[in-house]
Amino acid sequence: MAADGHRLGPLTVSLVALTLTGIFTAGALWIGGYAPMSALGSLFTGAFGSVDRFLSVTLVHAVPLVLTGLAVAVAFRAGVWNIGAEGQFYAGAVAGVWMGLHVGHLPAVMAISATLLAAGVAGSLWALVPALMRLRLGVGEVITTILMNFVAVHLVSYVVRWPLQEARGVFPNTDMVGEAVRLPILIPGTRLHAGFALAMVLCLVLWAVFRFTAFGFGVRAVGASEAAARLSGRIDVRRVVLSTFLISGALAGLAGGVEISGRTFALYEGLSPGWGYTAIAVALLAGLNPLGVVFTGILFGALEGGAGAMQREAGVPAAWVSGIEALVMLAVLAVDQAARRIRPVVLDVTHRREAQEAQGV
Amino acid sequence: MRGVRKSFGRLVALDGADLTGHSGEVHGVVGENGAGKTTLMNVLAGMVRPQGGEVFVEGVPVEFSKPRDAWRRGIGMVHQHFTLVPRLSVLENVALGVRSGGHGFRLPYPRIRRRLDELRKLTGFAVADEVRVEDLSAGERQRVEILKLLVRDPEVLIFDEPTAVLAPQEVKELIGVFRRLASDGRTVLLIAHKLDEVLEAADRITVLRNGATVHQCLRADADAGVLTRAMVGRDVHRGVRASVPAGPTIAKLMRVGATGSHGQAAVAEVGLEVRRGEIVGIAGVDGNGQGELSEILAAVREPDSGTVELPDHIGFIPADRVGEALIGSFNLSENLALALVNDSAFRQGPLIRWSDVRARTAEAVDRYGIGASGPQTRTAHLSGGNQQKLVVARELKRSRDLLVARNPTRGLDVSAAEFVRGELLRLCSQRGPSSEFDDRPGIVLISTDLDEILELADRIHVIVRGRLLPVEQSEASRETIGRLMLAGAEGPDGG
Amino acid sequence: MFEAVALTAFLEASVRLTAPLALAALGETVTERSGVINIGIEGSLITGALCAALAALSSGSPGVGIVVGGLGGAVVALGFAAFVIGLNTDQIITGTATTLAGLGFTGAIYQARFGATGTTLTLPVLQPVPLPILSNVPVLGSTLFYQAPTVYLVYILAPLIWFFLFRTEWGLELRAVGEEPAAAEAAGIRIGWTRLLAIVFGGTLAGVAGAHLALDSGTFIEGMSSGRGFIAIAVVVLGRWNPIWVLAAAFLFGSASALQFLLQAMGLNTPYPLLLALPYLLTLAALAGWVGRTRAPAALALPWPREST
Repeated sequence: MAADGHRLGPLTVSLVALTLTGIFTAGALWIGGYAPMSALGSLFTGAFGSVDRFLSVTLVHAVPLVLTGLAVAVAFRAGVWNIGAEGQFYAGAVAGVWMGLHVGHLPAVMAISATLLAAGVAGSLWALVPALMRLRLGVGEVITTILMNFVAVHLVSYVVRWPLQEARGVFPNTDMVGEAVRLPILIPGTRLHAGFALAMVLCLVLWAVFRFTAFGFGVRAVGASEAAARLSGRIDVRRVVLSTFLISGALAGLAGGVEISGRTFALYEGLSPGWGYTAIAVALLAGLNPLGVVFTGILFGALEGGAGAMQREAGVPAAWVSGIEALVMLAVLAVDQAARRIRPVVLDVTHRREAQEAQGV
Repeated sequence: MRGVRKSFGRLVALDGADLTGHSGEVHGVVGENGAGKTTLMNVLAGMVRPQGGEVFVEGVPVEFSKPRDAWRRGIGMVHQHFTLVPRLSVLENVALGVRSGGHGFRLPYPRIRRRLDELRKLTGFAVADEVRVEDLSAGERQRVEILKLLVRDPEVLIFDEPTAVLAPQEVKELIGVFRRLASDGRTVLLIAHKLDEVLEAADRITVLRNGATVHQCLRADADAGVLTRAMVGRDVHRGVRASVPAGPTIAKLMRVGATGSHGQAAVAEVGLEVRRGEIVGIAGVDGNGQGELSEILAAVREPDSGTVELPDHIGFIPADRVGEALIGSFNLSENLALALVNDSAFRQGPLIRWSDVRARTAEAVDRYGIGASGPQTRTAHLSGGNQQKLVVARELKRSRDLLVARNPTRGLDVSAAEFVRGELLRLCSQRGPSSEFDDRPGIVLISTDLDEILELADRIHVIVRGRLLPVEQSEASRETIGRLMLAGAEGPDGG
Repeated sequence: MFEAVALTAFLEASVRLTAPLALAALGETVTERSGVINIGIEGSLITGALCAALAALSSGSPGVGIVVGGLGGAVVALGFAAFVIGLNTDQIITGTATTLAGLGFTGAIYQARFGATGTTLTLPVLQPVPLPILSNVPVLGSTLFYQAPTVYLVYILAPLIWFFLFRTEWGLELRAVGEEPAAAEAAGIRIGWTRLLAIVFGGTLAGVAGAHLALDSGTFIEGMSSGRGFIAIAVVVLGRWNPIWVLAAAFLFGSASALQFLLQAMGLNTPYPLLLALPYLLTLAALAGWVGRTRAPAALALPWPREST
């Protein structure tokens, strides 16, 4: 008799994984000749040390991570392996900046809406190619989404050097978008822009969709078992896969638009330091749960935000953060799989109990 | 082989099985599904270790712990599920089977080619070397499997249901090959449940039932009737079912055909009518198209040919409980919701009324006595019996017009199975509150359990190679149905 | 005359740029033929680069650097294999984590050792070695046969790997594992062990590729792999998992890169990023079946043993 997963809930897995990561990081830091406590300490204060740090650095860093993490979580939930969040992000950024440069004369609400909408749609379209290749041609989406990432990166290089290059024509970046297109600051005196609120809202909305709606239920079913979804749930699997792909792309694209509108106001190469890939870690640690993504996104935002402080104060190079993020992913994978090994013992106990109960029936 | 015993967990596969194979003979091993034939041969081929009994090869007791041990004693097996790599060529697949284990380097293709040429003459097979296995038909693939085996020059060859995928002409050719191999001095052991083929091919026959040997004889002394009875058991008195006249037709299939996953015709020219209030039983050995047929009846698959008239509210109990009916990581309510997600009574626009779903779940748990530690229990942690109860509860509720059930009591203990059967009977006899028109559901029961079919069905068909053969009311007995199921391509009058 | 010179220069650059890609892609071909997709070769690549840099610095010999670079790549791949084979974790996610870890830790170690001083590292450089008669052939001679030893390694490896995969028993076993592990196991092949060897082989070559990157340019920069590991994945697909075609595909990507530099150097204002994107679009087309039938090893990226839901 087959069993799925293990008795440990997703929260337990994440907490154990985090603890393990912490231990390993401390160990690695110590081997590297750093003082683990002071290094982690300065990382912590760099991220949470003051209210301003928290708001302007950590939370601002968290926004693209939460949005792309959400994109990945939604896709993975349906069994759609969208590794293309990076490319969809850039597609959204390109569309966002293009729209932003053209609607600067409109009132703020319209300008911002148009920009973000363009970004989301572009992200969806970027995801459409791999989606159709999967549905119509049976081509696995892992490689196709990665390929689209590269195309997007080169698209950005092209865009910032030719069509949309700044008026001065000196550097490879676009002009800045006008005031009307920029997201308002949520808390005066900080750099926390409305993108954060948008990200939180979207997380909440998607959580509700998964929990309460028929569509969300369909997504979960398809992700868990396509056969059961088709035969018992009579769910249109292809439609679910397509919608999920598009939503995922839209969220990642939106992340790009939000970065333009809220933080950088212009597009340049390397806008994303690999957020589309880090998003996988964010989503995994959150157990693919939209609400969880809020926390893990902020956690990773803290990591990336505090990196600078850790480098300045404890002398630990900022690149360590990438390493820590990778350790988190590996820890989650390891804990998840290790827990499955415990499965036989747990199940035996359960079997006996069930058998006893069954006899009493 | 003497007194061999083997259990897999709680399932007793072999319970004192005996078999004596002689060289230069074709030896047929027959029995129903689950009789233990494959397991016994797996023991001989070294794939399974017995928990009791003895095995002798040429008089010497042997103990095989892995297939390699059996190979070394000259025993090889051609399995039912092929062990070929589709993307590789015939030559490569044969080479895979011949690996010198350790020499690793240059592939001795020229030597293999020569050997293959020799074997082609011996067996009369004509499969080219360079063709990719995936481009071959099932019959041709089987020939590659046989060639792969023969290249190793075995003394004992075991074939597991080799004719399952063959056309009648190919079956004849294959039997010819068996005879040639036997006259070469080898021993051919043939696992089959198709009596007519065994009677044509074998020199000696052993019959297994419920894991034990119940009959052994020479071909010359064999009689189809005796053998069938030995395989299938004495006739069980049919349970009487209060016959209520059936209502109007609720589902109809006309000349329906469907292709299976390997491109073969899984269902061919099937015509079926189901009426309200009746149970149509379809008996058959697994692998004759039941999957495709049940999916067509349940309206989750479009037939490739023919027409289908189906009602709106259909319930479906699939064959694979854990893979197709339930989602292990979902809890009880969520699994029930699979049936309710498109039911407007449980929806409020885009939202699912989870409280109502939970109420319905509690109802089902109560009614069917599903033993779970709580509604949040993940279905994967339920016992098989409780899982099936959940599936039955869910599907019966939505079978307002039709229920398609495959092996609904498989893996259930006696009381649970009885309960389920009772539910099925109740389902098709209950009328709605207004008896103005007949709204009893009809049931299509597709099962490998003969007793179940005999007990429950009003009308019986047998499915063989994707075709339905009707069984006369008056003749319905284990023996008749058994004979039809085991008949094979020749038709009902086998043997 | 100018055209000939420009052409030669372009070809030379193409070959130079192709070499690391080809090495990584050839290694990944073997890995993927065993049914494992190792996105972590980017991590192996950058680790190989750093290890080579450190080794070359301390030993003064680029040759030592290459060897150590290969070892570095192998170790990273071993880590990947531990998770994917030992714990049966998902190959994609583990590979992504491996790459992140590789990039992160190499950057960290580099910064720690050489600080953010701003001065770029100078390493002993791989000297191009002209092959006796062959390098005198006009045009082709200097492009193909006047290169660093690692490039010659590519020439040898491609046909060698081809022969291994398609003409030896071990290669047959490897391919069987990648296509139909069930059948391979039935034939007595050890799946885990075969895949482990394939993964480590791929990682070693990726490490050598990284070493070439560092020692050919004579320096190490954080993140200098620039996604070449990921590109190698695309190259393997475009090359249909056949070493000879993989080499050709790598050349396609390499020459696109060289062309881009050439155009920039010539001061032409052609939108070269579009040119760089072309090979990826071509790969997509190949996957879609428009450029002949391209099919991955059937068991690629699937877990083994298969998990039941």
